[in-house]
Amino acid sequence: MIPVSIQLRQALGKLVLPLLVLLSLAILIAGQANRKLADRARMYTTDILSPFWSLVSIGQERAVAITHNLQEAGQLAQENARLKAENENLRRWYDVAVSLTRENDSLKTALHWIPEPAPAFVTGRVVADSGGIYTRAVLLVAGTDSGVQVGNIALAANGLAGRVTETGTHSARILLITDIASRLPVMLEASQAPAIMVGDNSPMPRLMYYAQDTRPVEGERVVTSDQAGAFPAGLPIGTVHYVAEGRPVVAPFAQLDHLSLLRVFNFGRSQVEPPDAPGHVPLAPPHKSLDLPFKNLLGQE
Amino acid sequence: MMPDPSMRAWEPEIQPRQTIWHRLDHGARRLLPTLFCALVIVVLSAPLPIPGIAELMPAIVLTTVFFWSFWRPTGMPSLAVFLLGLFMDLVGFTPLGVSALLLLLVHGVGLYARFGLMRLPFLLVWGVFSLVALAACLLQWGLACLFRLTFMDLPPALFEAFLCIGLYPPLSALFSSILNRLDDKEDA
Repeated sequence: MIPVSIQLRQALGKLVLPLLVLLSLAILIAGQANRKLADRARMYTTDILSPFWSLVSIGQERAVAITHNLQEAGQLAQENARLKAENENLRRWYDVAVSLTRENDSLKTALHWIPEPAPAFVTGRVVADSGGIYTRAVLLVAGTDSGVQVGNIALAANGLAGRVTETGTHSARILLITDIASRLPVMLEASQAPAIMVGDNSPMPRLMYYAQDTRPVEGERVVTSDQAGAFPAGLPIGTVHYVAEGRPVVAPFAQLDHLSLLRVFNFGRSQVEPPDAPGHVPLAPPHKSLDLPFKNLLGQE
Repeated sequence: MMPDPSMRAWEPEIQPRQTIWHRLDHGARRLLPTLFCALVIVVLSAPLPIPGIAELMPAIVLTTVFFWSFWRPTGMPSLAVFLLGLFMDLVGFTPLGVSALLLLLVHGVGLYARFGLMRLPFLLVWGVFSLVALAACLLQWGLACLFRLTFMDLPPALFEAFLCIGLYPPLSALFSSILNRLDDKEDA
């Protein structure tokens, strides 16, 4: 260190600030005069600092991600609490359901209830129907080999699709409920009133012959009725919809325009023979007369 | 109040010999405000999603420079102020030298008025600083107008001034606590 006197030192110290002010003014003017130089200096500084900045922005992104995760965790906790409460509620209902089932079983036992036979069913893939006398019919890759019989009932995933009308060894033709030849006895679920569902080749079959004092209500569920003995009662078909005043139709639950799989149920209705009663004209079980020759023919082959 | 640093050179027998740790510690303490400002400049010039970040960085630096200039000038020497201003200009988009000039002027006001300012109560100091910050921001706006040769929008400059004024109380509280801690260590 150069030994200078205290006075000189203090004088120099007082001079530093004005000198620096002058220097900054000089830089200001020089930067305006030669902008390229200033820009180059700026770029140089930015190049040096860019790793720091990327570090900072990475940290910021991490922080944002962490806060996001924390928020999500909070939401999860809320969801968990809600689900726990719901689970408790459902467990109570489960107990209720179990006790009701037991009570039902015991009551059935006490009443000597004859249990309904569980229906046998086969599932087949639907292939498009190219021929046939019906407009709305599909061909199922399941035939008499698999136990499919004429008059069996085809259900789609969530509703009635149609009935088996012809069977081959490996295939069956199913008449859909929308075909013009389809006429089904149905029941309006809310009023328990009977009606006839008539197909007209449109996607929504019409409702006809309902009682005038129990008209179908918009949105009412329509289920099958066992009036003619062709169907078991209570298979879901669709809901009532009014396309016009006084013209109720059924919007089917099954998506009949693009069926892929159908379950064919054998409810064994044809086996239930009503006992003869004097003066009662027995209804011929549908298509039963057709069944036998086909079976014999196929059996001989 | 302050021991003259030159005394050590003239009377080496009286002062205890400074070890290298002592020197490093001393240097770090002196450099603390400058390093703080440099860190603020680097971090806040990064593309962060903070509203008003373009005005926040110069406001923090201006407030820090003013506080240390009048309260503890050894922590904020003129050369450091000049370098900080130049650094700010290089990082930001202001013309080269503008921030250096402004910071030096603020530093000069703080330095020359320090014996008057230190006696004043906090609220009055705050008032003085408000005037200084307003003047600095208006001067910056004037320089920007001069260089672009058009009238620029005044509201951003006023926003920066108000940001400085609003930042002064929290930052001075922070720096006061730091100063107290440093002084305690010095006494111990």
